[in-house]
Amino acid sequence: MNDIRILEDKSASAFVHQECLPYLRQSQNIDGGWGFLAGKDSRVEPTAWATLALSEYCQGNEIQDALSKAIGFFQNLQLADGSWAASPSQLRGSWVTSLACWALLASGTETENLTAGLRWLQEDRPGDSGRWWRMLRRLATNRNISRQSDSYYGWSWTPGTASWVEPTSYALLVLRSLPEAALSTEMQSRIRIAKQMLYDRMCPGGGWNCGNPMVYGVAGEPQVTPTAFALLALLESSSRSEIEESLNWLEKNSVTVASPTSNALTNIVLHVFGRQIATPAHALSHNRVQDDISWSIPEAGWVALSLSSKQHWLNLKCSSVRL
Amino acid sequence: MPRTAPPLLPPFSRPPSRVAIRRVTSYQSDLSTLLYETVSEFALPVRGRTVLLKPNFVGSDPLGMMNTHPALIAASRETFLRLGAERVLIADGPAMDRDTRAIIESVHLREYVGPLSRVFVDLNVDDVERTVLRTHASRLRELYLPKTLLAADFLVSLPKLKTHHWAGVTLSLKNMFGVVPGSCYGWPKNILHWAGIDRAILDINAAIRPNFAIVDGIIGMEGNGPIQGTLKRCGTVICGDDPVAVDATCARVMGLRPDKIKHISRAATLLGHMQAEKIQQIGDTIDQTCNPFAVLEAFQYLRQKPAARPSNVN
Repeated sequence: MNDIRILEDKSASAFVHQECLPYLRQSQNIDGGWGFLAGKDSRVEPTAWATLALSEYCQGNEIQDALSKAIGFFQNLQLADGSWAASPSQLRGSWVTSLACWALLASGTETENLTAGLRWLQEDRPGDSGRWWRMLRRLATNRNISRQSDSYYGWSWTPGTASWVEPTSYALLVLRSLPEAALSTEMQSRIRIAKQMLYDRMCPGGGWNCGNPMVYGVAGEPQVTPTAFALLALLESSSRSEIEESLNWLEKNSVTVASPTSNALTNIVLHVFGRQIATPAHALSHNRVQDDISWSIPEAGWVALSLSSKQHWLNLKCSSVRL
Repeated sequence: MPRTAPPLLPPFSRPPSRVAIRRVTSYQSDLSTLLYETVSEFALPVRGRTVLLKPNFVGSDPLGMMNTHPALIAASRETFLRLGAERVLIADGPAMDRDTRAIIESVHLREYVGPLSRVFVDLNVDDVERTVLRTHASRLRELYLPKTLLAADFLVSLPKLKTHHWAGVTLSLKNMFGVVPGSCYGWPKNILHWAGIDRAILDINAAIRPNFAIVDGIIGMEGNGPIQGTLKRCGTVICGDDPVAVDATCARVMGLRPDKIKHISRAATLLGHMQAEKIQQIGDTIDQTCNPFAVLEAFQYLRQKPAARPSNVN
């Protein structure tokens, strides 16, 4: 068994260092960012995932150089209010602000850019967090169509819209790097409410999806991506039954999964929660060779992160910011 | 060169539309011949052009009632290539799952279409371009839309025949939500819901103007669609060069009143014909193919007795 483990570790390391990291480095654009696909326009989200992956394996000048350029990209693209927009031509910040902050933190850049980004996250409130909205919801005739509590809210994808599982998870994941003492009572309360929102939005039986957990009394089907990030955001609560149920769903679902994204995210979660990983490195490597579609930058980043034994990116600490 | 969007015209100043209904028993039928013969009747200007097929991909679908069936996508692609298109792309940006790869693997698209690397585009992560909207039915004023979509010469909406628990039905007009990129607006594309689904459907369709629609009604979904409904065997393919007329016809085939479906009646003010007397029917008739779909209690008002049937010109 140990021999198999050693072989697998070697295979993972070779795959990361010979395939994933060179692919990421070679796909970086001149402006320091990455597009969703190699050769495409730079965007904040793929740049964040590439930065997180490269930071996880930060050795050698080439990677350092790529990271420096990426930091420059984030600095250049930050909007005056501290946020980042999903596409450089957009004028309003969005959920990618969490990812940009996370990437800056991973690359060891605790500058005013990071502080301004985290402050924006602190101030950013979804459209469903206001009293006016809740009052209107109470009066709406269709309020009972989807089962969810209006008492909880987290973060939205775009300003002024509703809270959703993924952007809330990203915000919680980056805010987790701040020690509790650095958070105001209000911020601590907001984080608690956001975690409650995640539990409230869980699909019956475990896992999360991109929509509502139940509509017209019918349970929604969970999906890998929101389930993975919600579980990572709730890592400290691993003893709760909801976590256990969701991990069980993810483990069971891994048998049928056939995409690098889902394989990698499933592996990351099962690994950090101490379960047996679902897709070994040699299978990921084999899939890449067989694939007739180029891996996207986030896919390559997630695969590289899934093969890290350290998982530093999930244990970052920020010491210079108070919210 | 990007296509020129057709003008926005009220119904009284546009010529009648044509919609074809074809009965098809299964996805194993000779869809390529049937579609080629049907689409040829419309004399579409696709020779030497780039055609973009926009199917409806939602998620894992073992019963085949949620996503546009890959057999119909492949037959549509073959049809436009036979009609002289230089390139036929398949492109979608699923709204409810960002792992598009997992969806296209689960529907076995490659098995029907062949290698996907130069054929399939994930619109959720394509490069984007700011697009000022031509109508202001919703509060949206602009959208960042995929460059591949904007650069295509000819856009074909290729939806599934389904009921929808917010919009009543989801057909060729609602299918255009899938062109709005998740990488700018998230999953789901919640900004469209906050802007008002019915109004946003008009704004998006007025901006990008699909040139043709082919609706997969061989197997559809009734009840609590578009994801949690029940399989409905309808045995039809419905197509035409006016997406409003196609959707109105689909609604009639589903036993529903298009004038009661907000987004269809709203789109009919500027984008196409909803009135039966303005739609020339080709092929099978609505009477021959009408197969009422079950709808949720909240949408029972759609099921009132339909108005006059359109004339059959074939």
